[in-house]
Amino acid sequence: MNKIREMISLREINGISDYVNLYKDLEEEIKKGKFQSTKKIKIALLSSFTINGIKETLFVKCCEIGIIPDFYVGDYNQYAQEILDPSSGLYKFEPDLVIIFVDTRAILGDQYFLPYQISDEQRKSLADEKLNEIRVFIEKIKVNSDAKILLHNFEVPLYSALGILENKQEFGFIESIEALNTGLREAVKHDGQAFIFDYDSFCSGIGKQNIVDYKMYYLGDIRLSLQYVPELCNEYTAYIKPLMSITRKCIVLDLDNTLWGGIVGEDGLEGIKLGPTPEGRPFWEFQKYLLSLFNRGIILAINSKNNVDDALEVLRKHPNMVLKEEHFAAIQINWNDKISNMKAIAEELNIGMDSLAFVDDDKSNREMVRKALPEALVVELPEDPSLYLTALMKINDFNTLQITEEDKKKGKMYAEQRKRTELRKTTTDITEHLKNLEMVVTIERADSFNIPRISQLTQKTNQFNMTTRRYMEEDIEKFSNDDNFIVVSVTVEDKFGDNGITGVAIIEKGDDKWRIDTFLLSCRIIGRKVEETLLAYILKEAEKEKAKLLIGEFITTKKNAPAKDFYKNNGFNLIKKEDGKELWGYNVKKEYTPPSFIKVAVKENKT
Amino acid sequence: MKRLKAILSRVLEIDENTITDETSPDNVENWDSFNGLMLVSELEKDFNVKFTMDEVTSVKNVLDIKKSLRKHGIELHE
Repeated sequence: MNKIREMISLREINGISDYVNLYKDLEEEIKKGKFQSTKKIKIALLSSFTINGIKETLFVKCCEIGIIPDFYVGDYNQYAQEILDPSSGLYKFEPDLVIIFVDTRAILGDQYFLPYQISDEQRKSLADEKLNEIRVFIEKIKVNSDAKILLHNFEVPLYSALGILENKQEFGFIESIEALNTGLREAVKHDGQAFIFDYDSFCSGIGKQNIVDYKMYYLGDIRLSLQYVPELCNEYTAYIKPLMSITRKCIVLDLDNTLWGGIVGEDGLEGIKLGPTPEGRPFWEFQKYLLSLFNRGIILAINSKNNVDDALEVLRKHPNMVLKEEHFAAIQINWNDKISNMKAIAEELNIGMDSLAFVDDDKSNREMVRKALPEALVVELPEDPSLYLTALMKINDFNTLQITEEDKKKGKMYAEQRKRTELRKTTTDITEHLKNLEMVVTIERADSFNIPRISQLTQKTNQFNMTTRRYMEEDIEKFSNDDNFIVVSVTVEDKFGDNGITGVAIIEKGDDKWRIDTFLLSCRIIGRKVEETLLAYILKEAEKEKAKLLIGEFITTKKNAPAKDFYKNNGFNLIKKEDGKELWGYNVKKEYTPPSFIKVAVKENKT
Repeated sequence: MKRLKAILSRVLEIDENTITDETSPDNVENWDSFNGLMLVSELEKDFNVKFTMDEVTSVKNVLDIKKSLRKHGIELHE
């Protein structure tokens, strides 16, 4: 896949025509089998007008992030038929993502130009009718497909025939479109499958005066000026990335001239620029934004060439330092090169290099990291610190399709982890260390509260994952309602804090033989014997229901080496081994002793 | 002219050296209506001009593009 990125990076891309031409070349190379990727996505584009250029541009944007896309473009203004007919080309295509781009002109028809030929009441019922129509579309797609749905909302026009009196109406033209947008947002607010693409905001961002090139609109029915198509596609990738599990989890930050202005080793604690002054404010607000990312669960880390005492003094004592020591999950302040520090951070946090984003004001550092660690995302910081904030805000790599309670706490939990590791450094005996953690493990049946997180863990956990089976929320729900299955989540608490739900097991019950379908632990808690506690629970359940044999599967992947010997080390016997898949068996009658230092609480709140 | 030829070559995927005043949708396979509009978009961006709808519809070949650009005050050095 790096080959494909290389090909793209060699091309100069100035405008839409470069995307279109590059698309042709890429498609040809892919057809020839020159590029391959395990990440593939099928995208259906439905729209109310000519959307030439979007498919081509989005194709290139997907390739840039290592995804090979396949497209289905609905016929001109045929979106309604495509959606409503279960045997349409749309459903035959079996899309993973359906993008619906219907514009305000199309949905309102003549009312767009002559809104005041109908009464306020009529306008109200028209808006309701349109909203219902779209809701039906969403429901129809959900019935016929598992695809995620990305639905454009509507551009609120800048002009009204009523001029300055527009907002004095009972239910005016502008208000009717705003109401439609609000209704759409409400309709999918709690929907895990459908998402609103805020096209109205997108248009505002570019400037509604520029969004349509009227000459092109009349000549070619082009309703988004071609020069903004790449930007639109860029916004789409914010949804595609998490859908394909491409999500950055951690921002690795430089210190001097990145988190504050100046160099602490030279300017001293009082000399650096940080706080409510013209030179200090860009850094101050940059830190505030980073803190808001931390609060949504992004992990922060430091990678700085500095004297550790100087730097820590700023973290601890500077009055305007927004980010404190407790916000950083890993701190590498030393004279090592940035690359080794990146590796150390990834190792310490137990996450892949592809989860890291690197932020450094120094161009040569960025170049070095980009070359040596192509999986890491290197953020292009502009020269001018006043532009740092907007540069970071534009990065759309931190998205997830759902935020669970665990996510929000994640930044904090990783910082607590750093303290645990520090404790480990002081206690040499591992059992002693684990005892000192005073762990409490809660094992809980799946219910509506933990199902989103359980599904998310099956999607995201790569290392301690025996079978790496990915399940959607709907799948987990099915399992949990099926009496032949047990689905449990595992929550780990210790004296440093709550790790949240960090483990999952799915067991299929048979008469004699029970099968462990899924057994996973988040990398945060690997090596703390929680897995043994969980296994003991499963064995006890099996014994209760008179099962004889517990079968564990292990399916080898590139990443799950940490789980490889788990069954072997816990008294299972190998039954069969073929094509990277192993079957292990445990005689339920055989006694199993879980670690005594972990307290266990079992909650049987089966729904 | 170099700049115009470069844009034409890039958008229409043709060799710069083959471009003449007579180059037109009739003799360039790639020059369909959508590519024609992309060409307009790229020319407007690159030369920082805005063509009228009339200018766009009346363009029959490269010579016409040059004439329109000249009308907008763009001197093409040939």
